[in-house]
Amino acid sequence: MINVEILIVGGGPAGLCAANAAADLGASVLICERDEIPGGQLVKQTHKFFGSRKQYAGDRGIAIGDFLLDEVINDPKIEVMPDTTVIGIYEDGLVLAERSEEIIKINPRKIIIATGAAEKFLTFPGNDLPGIYGAGAVQTLMNVAGVIPGERVLMVGAGNIGLIVSYQLAQAGVETAAVIEGAPTIGGYLVHASKIQRLGIPVRTGYTIKEAYGDGKVEGAVICRLDAAWNMIEGSEEDIKCDTICLAVGLTPLTELCWQAGCEMAFIRELSGHVPLIDKYLQTTNPKIYVAGDVSGVEEASSAMVEGRLAGYSAACSLGYGLDTAPSLQAGAMAELDELRAGPMSDRIRQGVEKVEKMVTKGGV
Amino acid sequence: MLINTGIPTKEDLAKVDPSAERLAQGPVAIVECFQEIPCNPCVDACKRNAINIEGDINGLPIVDFEKCNGCGVCIAHCPGLAIFVIDKTYSESHAVVRLPYEFVPLPEKGQLACALNRAGEELGNFEVVRVISGGAKNKTTTIWLAVPQDLAMEVRSIKAPNSAPNIQNSAPGLQSSPTDTLICRCEDITLDEIRRVIADGYRTIDEIKRVTRAGMGPCQGRTCRQLIAQELSRHFGIPMEEVLMSTFRPPVKPVKLGSFVKGGDL
Repeated sequence: MINVEILIVGGGPAGLCAANAAADLGASVLICERDEIPGGQLVKQTHKFFGSRKQYAGDRGIAIGDFLLDEVINDPKIEVMPDTTVIGIYEDGLVLAERSEEIIKINPRKIIIATGAAEKFLTFPGNDLPGIYGAGAVQTLMNVAGVIPGERVLMVGAGNIGLIVSYQLAQAGVETAAVIEGAPTIGGYLVHASKIQRLGIPVRTGYTIKEAYGDGKVEGAVICRLDAAWNMIEGSEEDIKCDTICLAVGLTPLTELCWQAGCEMAFIRELSGHVPLIDKYLQTTNPKIYVAGDVSGVEEASSAMVEGRLAGYSAACSLGYGLDTAPSLQAGAMAELDELRAGPMSDRIRQGVEKVEKMVTKGGV
Repeated sequence: MLINTGIPTKEDLAKVDPSAERLAQGPVAIVECFQEIPCNPCVDACKRNAINIEGDINGLPIVDFEKCNGCGVCIAHCPGLAIFVIDKTYSESHAVVRLPYEFVPLPEKGQLACALNRAGEELGNFEVVRVISGGAKNKTTTIWLAVPQDLAMEVRSIKAPNSAPNIQNSAPGLQSSPTDTLICRCEDITLDEIRRVIADGYRTIDEIKRVTRAGMGPCQGRTCRQLIAQELSRHFGIPMEEVLMSTFRPPVKPVKLGSFVKGGDL
């Protein structure tokens, strides 16, 4: 049995920042990371990040991952356990993890769940043909494993992931036939869309995939126009030849551990799925458990890092560390979050966060 | 429209372009950034404080064209690759467009490169007059392309060296055959099967899981759970908020019984 003050589940941008923040205040921390190398999605983000200098804007995601990991590894108060999946949180607060087919028992005083999010899938005929991937999976395949998925891609979804992965496919010499988006407007940052349009990759809003076809693998897709009510318009079908289809239709929070731990949960559309109800210090309704990053609502990595810091300060403070410095550090992180969320691109996030706040004040769902 | 296509219109560009007089005076930066997003590295990049944003970090960048001397440091610092420097004083016939570039192999000075406009249309082959490395950390190269004066405000990219041949899409006349729509990839459960059991009276995710095994595979419902919830929401005409979620129990992923038998450090 491992006794630890703060257990962090997930070594992505939120988890690593949480570890650094909690250790800075003096708490001892254990990070359980499913992958061999911590960093979460940062390990495949070859593009430069947005935000301000405080969130490492202008640096590429991979560099930010290395930097955060360096800080964690060089901190004697933090232990990193890679290749380790937390498989359960039990009623008595005991945590089970699995590493190399071994079960590890962990007894933490506080837990920060920073498990991130998973890619959503889409239903259409032929959606199980080989050659259909999540866009994030293709990014891992290319940027981590060095393997290209195919020669010609149809990208479904013009959010930031769809736009960025299309650009990275082009960098790898893979053609993108089109980026299609069901909504009437582009969901991701327009600079990303402009960047790929300049390369001759068309972004077509108001289109969805009707079906994928092929003999044993993807050979093409039928796309069609959508009306304002998202119904397919008969007769608007077009055939797109491709050997790969990437689905970039959003992410949904990975909340299994929150549910198991008995945190009160609610479906908040603006936050992309079921999320734990939290207070402004990122504490869930289970006082032992804090959350940070996409698990409490899908957002940008810059916000995940700030939330990580906030959750780290909060958890450490709840154990009596940094009682004098924590309040101002927490306030600083909250102000950073407010600033990142102040723009029109964050309208949905703000609405989602407000919904959660209201439910918490009312005392639950 | 920019918001539908990602291609800025003449009206959009009119808001960020310097005057003809300023362009005639020498190199100047143009920031083709039209959307309020939380981002400000351009402000930090400019040593002459020629780029500012209004209000908080979400404000649009505004270039003070009088302070800007067209040094071009900002080009490689914009995460959105939205900054260009235009020098209309390069020669009588040609202007230089300096643009960010992140492809390999890099073109060399003296080579011709195929210029592209904001829609990716080819505008002709023009000479690369300078290639500036962004350095080991930044990694964004700045390419100087000498283009005819009348294309200076059109050229915004060059064609990547390894871009694939353009395969033409065929006209409709589809060779598709009826195929299944899969809901649970691990256990191979189709949308038809889910609809059939809903019609049979099963009405929660857990009931559907028990009768079909959807959600019992390696991913433990990570993919199909939401899709089944959406189908229940659609079928019963209730919002997603009211669809009863499944029960969550450890382990979150399949673990070999042997691992538990070994017991670890119990």
